[in-house]
Amino acid sequence: MQKTRKLLSMLLAIALLCSLFIVPASAETVELPRNETLYFAGIQWGSVNGWNPLSDDMNNGMAITQNAGGSRSIMFETLYMYNMLDGSLTPLLADGDYVWNDARTEITVKIKPAAKWSDGTAITAEDVAYTFATSVKIGNARGNSYKPFIETVEAVDDSTVLIKAKLNDEGAAVNPLQMITYLEEAYVFQKAWVEAVEARSGDDPAAVKRDLGEDVVWSGPYTKYYADDQKVVFVRDDAYWGQDASMWGTLPVPKYIVHTIYADNPAGETALKAGEVDVCQQFIANIQDLWLKDGLPISTYMDEAPWGICVNMPTAYYNLDKPVLQNAALRKAIALAVDYDAIIQNAMTGQSPSFADVPRSLMNPTAGEQATFDHEAVKDLQWAGDDAASAIAMLDAAGIVDTDGDGWRDIDGEKISLNACCPNGWTDWMAAMEIVAAAGEKIGIEITTEFPEWSVYQTVVTAATQDQYDIFMMWTDSAAPTQPWGRVRQLMSSEFVGVEGNWSGNWGHFSNARADEIIAAIPSETDEAALKALYTEAVQIYLTEVPSFSLMYRPNMFHAVNESVWTNFPDASDGRNIPPAICVDGYGIAALYELELVNP
Amino acid sequence: MKNTIRQVFHSPKFVVGFCIFMAILLTMLVYPFINPGDPLKMIGLGTFAEPGTYVSMYDSVGAPFSTFKIPDADVKRLDKLLTQEDRAKMREWLELAQVDVSELDVGDMDSLLAMWKQHYDPEIRIPGMIKAVRNYYIRLNNSILSASVSDTLKVTDTDEATGETIEKTKISKTDYVNVDDVANVISLPLGTDNFGRDTLKQLVAACGVSISIGLIAGAVATALGLLLGLLAGYLGGWVDDFIMFFTNIFTVIPSFVLLILINYSINQDQRGAGTVALVIGLTSWVWTTRSVRSQVISLRNRDHVNLSRLSGHSLPRIILTDILPYIASYVMMAFILQVSSGILAEAQLSLLGLGPKTTEVPTLGLMMNWAMLYSAHLNGSWWAYFPVILVIALISFSLNLMNTGLDQVFNPTLRE
Repeated sequence: MQKTRKLLSMLLAIALLCSLFIVPASAETVELPRNETLYFAGIQWGSVNGWNPLSDDMNNGMAITQNAGGSRSIMFETLYMYNMLDGSLTPLLADGDYVWNDARTEITVKIKPAAKWSDGTAITAEDVAYTFATSVKIGNARGNSYKPFIETVEAVDDSTVLIKAKLNDEGAAVNPLQMITYLEEAYVFQKAWVEAVEARSGDDPAAVKRDLGEDVVWSGPYTKYYADDQKVVFVRDDAYWGQDASMWGTLPVPKYIVHTIYADNPAGETALKAGEVDVCQQFIANIQDLWLKDGLPISTYMDEAPWGICVNMPTAYYNLDKPVLQNAALRKAIALAVDYDAIIQNAMTGQSPSFADVPRSLMNPTAGEQATFDHEAVKDLQWAGDDAASAIAMLDAAGIVDTDGDGWRDIDGEKISLNACCPNGWTDWMAAMEIVAAAGEKIGIEITTEFPEWSVYQTVVTAATQDQYDIFMMWTDSAAPTQPWGRVRQLMSSEFVGVEGNWSGNWGHFSNARADEIIAAIPSETDEAALKALYTEAVQIYLTEVPSFSLMYRPNMFHAVNESVWTNFPDASDGRNIPPAICVDGYGIAALYELELVNP
Repeated sequence: MKNTIRQVFHSPKFVVGFCIFMAILLTMLVYPFINPGDPLKMIGLGTFAEPGTYVSMYDSVGAPFSTFKIPDADVKRLDKLLTQEDRAKMREWLELAQVDVSELDVGDMDSLLAMWKQHYDPEIRIPGMIKAVRNYYIRLNNSILSASVSDTLKVTDTDEATGETIEKTKISKTDYVNVDDVANVISLPLGTDNFGRDTLKQLVAACGVSISIGLIAGAVATALGLLLGLLAGYLGGWVDDFIMFFTNIFTVIPSFVLLILINYSINQDQRGAGTVALVIGLTSWVWTTRSVRSQVISLRNRDHVNLSRLSGHSLPRIILTDILPYIASYVMMAFILQVSSGILAEAQLSLLGLGPKTTEVPTLGLMMNWAMLYSAHLNGSWWAYFPVILVIALISFSLNLMNTGLDQVFNPTLRE
């Protein structure tokens, strides 16, 4: 008995010891050489669901992100690569520039002869055509958003694609700008693979979108290597077609791309500081302190404020479903009183130009967009903020006064009490909402902040109508070929009013007949002067009606790099014209081909 | 009564705790008179200004000055501009740019600067130099170029009518301004927080709010616990069973989880400091009920209570005059602990983003919440959170000390 016990305990001890060795051994399989690996942060939150790019909910940020400001093309590729610095389109799968027909209703695109799928077969016009047809058929995000603008995508021959526009009543393209955006936003998938998915899903659109796509065929320079709830790893495909002289002429430098999955922003920031992350797409408060105070080898695209190219305009929307907010004087007064400098300096820690530098309009601060409207004509309507005196005068003139002496202003005898909302944990937005609330106090309007969880917030904000949030924040479109038209539409078009699951824009449900006419007229207007007049009028309507007001300018992507291991990241002063798109988006991917090791 | 108080104040532990608590209360009452104004006013643009005294540059230009000839003023000025490390780095750059530095003495500032200005060019790309380092040199060069070279600095203004440049004044290296002569000097002993608000002023205000949250929560919890405990203990029977049934249910539900759930279900715009205090109070009465009940049960059959009952005294009278005085000391101690845990509960809730709505009053927990959201703990802005932690610690430490002190006086088994 004693012996058996001893033996058993010995065995147990040995088993325990063995288990100690087994655990690190399994983790070792993804131990990667540091100087062949580029680490990312701020793109992938939570573990990856799957690899099917036809689906919209794979939660696979590194591999599948199609974006009008430049799609992420390490695994799947687009026809062209967008460069937000100059708005140019560089051919990727396409061969040479796209060609319009004379009526501007059809685009012809050639496919590069060298372009190949990962299984070695050539990429053909048939693949491009089938991708669009399938997207429309199964109704995924790309299919739904381009269906109103593109009639068909056809394969003329193996290497020639013809994209036909949806035509309006006059026989012109509904929106030629959206067709160009399609070229740089939409991935191309292999027809054979898509057909295989359809076959195993029994042609059920929902099943196609549910497919995990483990066998997906790709065309980009990297492919999936390993993924769990800790990290997602991509490995370079050394047979990548792009090493052909007609494209890059070489392979991208890092052999592995890794995105460690962090719990939250501070975790990613700590890893960036420690040199465990090379490229970080996160808002980091007071980022300049990382190099000025801490002396870390971290930098951003520009070495001075705002440290990035701000193309997005996070905006506070007024909920116009609420009767009290249908009063334009009240809307403008609150917007006048807000201290935007405080938002920019305190909430954004200076990572945005001020509204004195770039007066408010519907356009982002880039030179191209600023040139689209007449600055003099809207000058009197613009405001720089922190102007409680004017706001009070405006409210008094509109008869919005404190009638019962409780210190708060009333409309129809009822105290105006508003809430200001944004998702919990979105630090810079939360601080901005606090500053909006503080402005309310200065002008006698009670505004309290509320920070619901994002899961709740998004369902309320995208609902057809809602009465829960009065002032709430959402983003706007960034740079893209359709801008600034897209943003005008996003901020003012009544086509989004009453739409259930509205992710497109106008979340405050504003409608203005003249604004709608302008939005319809701009895409087909080719006369420069007329176009400028239209944009100017749109800005005038926006600044008079104030259906929403932008609180700051913001980069589409934050782009902080740590040069402990890799260097030669794109820089505003290096003359290479590579945008700060975290080395993987649109033409930003060109950076991957030029990275160098600090210690080769 | 007098005797009891004298006894209490003979306990060193109680006295120390009492002094700390009073000191905090006194600061809370006095400081707003020294530094009046809204504690939530955002005075600074930019986040986390460091603690210190800030002198208005604008006002100091026109202020009366005295002349001092301090021998090492120039050295200090240069040291502030270029640290020893910067100088070594400059030499390093010159070496990398293949400038002959064999003759160069880094201690000799003039020759170093001369050589630097002669050779440095931001356009030169040194192979293998990373961007962060290149940027460092560009910044260093800019600060060297912008540093004043002449002995006097001219302050000019532009005439709005003519557009002419008018010389306003000259500032010499030997001019010194008495801080008292500058119109605007702000003293920020604890710097500013992420909204540019005076941290010390906010801390003092927050302290008051948090203590009142603690007091409300403590009062609610103790009153509820006492009432239920007295009834259950004295009446016994089905009343006891009924009350203890609920008390036991609440005992097994972790009160903090309950607190989180209740706060989560109250909309943020309804969640004032008073509401949060009430909720904390309503979730922390159970242990008071249990102990009061057990003490009352032991008191219930004492002779004086029986006598009182035989004399036909009413229930409230028996409870108030024959039972309550015997457990008053215990209730007092429980109350002190409840206050302390109420303050801690508010801090914990606010840290989770479930505290009082943020625009009205500062609380200790909200201060820490914002400091954490803006990564004060990562970027070294200790003044935004450490004093808050210290104050919370001091408050609960003093309350706990008072409690132990009282315990030693009132608890016969601990009496020395």
